[in-house]
Amino acid sequence: MNDRHIVKSYDRDLEAIQALIMKMGGLVEAAILEAAQSLENRDEELAERVRANDRAVDDLEQRVNEEAARLLALRQPSAGDLRTVLSVMKIGANLERIGDYAKNMAKRTGVLVQMSPIEGSAGAIRRMSMAVEAMLKDALDAYIQRDAELAQDVRLRDMEVDQMYNALFREFLTFMMEDPRNITACMHLHFIAKNIERMGDHVTSIAEQVIYLVTGELPEDERPKADRTAIDAPRA
Amino acid sequence: MYDTPASGKTAVTNEVKIAARKVNVFYGDTHAIKDVDVEIEDKTVTAFIGPSGCGKSTFLRCLNRMNDTIDICRVEGLIALDGEDIYAPSIDPVQLRAKVGMVFQKPNPFPKSIYENVAYGPKIHGMARTRAELDEIVERALRRGAIWDEVKDRLQEPGTGLSGGQQQRLCIARAVATEPEVLLMDEPCSALDPIATAQVEELIDELREQYSVVIVTHSMQQAARVSQKTAFFHLGNLVEFGETGQIFTNPHDPRTESYITGRIG
Repeated sequence: MNDRHIVKSYDRDLEAIQALIMKMGGLVEAAILEAAQSLENRDEELAERVRANDRAVDDLEQRVNEEAARLLALRQPSAGDLRTVLSVMKIGANLERIGDYAKNMAKRTGVLVQMSPIEGSAGAIRRMSMAVEAMLKDALDAYIQRDAELAQDVRLRDMEVDQMYNALFREFLTFMMEDPRNITACMHLHFIAKNIERMGDHVTSIAEQVIYLVTGELPEDERPKADRTAIDAPRA
Repeated sequence: MYDTPASGKTAVTNEVKIAARKVNVFYGDTHAIKDVDVEIEDKTVTAFIGPSGCGKSTFLRCLNRMNDTIDICRVEGLIALDGEDIYAPSIDPVQLRAKVGMVFQKPNPFPKSIYENVAYGPKIHGMARTRAELDEIVERALRRGAIWDEVKDRLQEPGTGLSGGQQQRLCIARAVATEPEVLLMDEPCSALDPIATAQVEELIDELREQYSVVIVTHSMQQAARVSQKTAFFHLGNLVEFGETGQIFTNPHDPRTESYITGRIG
């Protein structure tokens, strides 16, 4: 298939909307890493900046939706072009949610820095954040390169994030049982871990959109899941 | 999700009305249609799309032997209507065209009254014995052409005095007056404004309940709006034939994708 439209402005419109998604992706990647960093370094200032920056992500999502609606109305895209516009709208929504989770992490960091640290937790959360950020980076690369294989790889990697979350869940439970004074901090840390786990799900959804964009079909097989905390919740 | 194989078979399949096998068409030395196999279903709108000169109109005209009138045109292969070879010596092309009606790009009413335009076909095919019967046929056809209310008080006025959109609907009424089984439409809306186009498209959708409709159109959006099956022709080949939704969201052939998305193919 030829890459270029006969009407050149059509290409410019499609490129512009995809550039917005990439810009959003960059901001969200940074937000994940900075939120984790602010927690590890107990850096309130950085946490505050992460919260403030989320506004830009929200604005970009709004613009993506407006541009997508305009493109649908004016160009009536079909086939691959249609799938591009549809996937852009969904990916925009996923990125916006991931941004919200990062913002919530930063918000809880603001509370956590007032308390004594829980040993080892910040490092584990940072590793989990880095895993999700790497997945997001690959999902966005897969999008740009229209690489369904890489997207499938990202999709499978979500299981590792689930496993990290399970491990943290048990660890926090142990800390809370050991000393009830840890409960407030551990509850916040647990929500942070859960948020990162949810980020992984949104990244997975982005990867699935890439597969849809490239192949025209959503993956049918059930994605492997390792978050079993809801199924076999340990009883205290 | 539905799995739609390249052959275009979908869950809902009507009976095959016209089956074409290995159809080749030559204009002198020019090979205009190359080994086309296609099954046109009953009670379905099938759209033929493709760039100018791709053979879609040529193929459409094979379906009621309109190409017979062109001396240098040679049709090979099998085209069967309800299983019967339409190029068999026993077939009378005039009778065939009563069964397989045609509507053209430009509205072409006869220079006669609105009534006579519609009554002409039924008369030569001896479909009415009395004037009352003929009146009934004319009214039914004009109603089916969605133009009865606009012309019922002036049936004796010339058909050429109607607006373009009305003339086209009159031509559709004329085509359905002989009770055809298949209706071929060659760019029926290209000379019409958007409102008349919408009226004709609505009419096509209604006609689908009784007929098999085959439409050639240059408007991709129109093909997407009115048809259930779409065939993409390119350089005389039938590149892809499938369910319209699949063709416009996930075409299997890169040439189809290039064409429908407006890229240089």
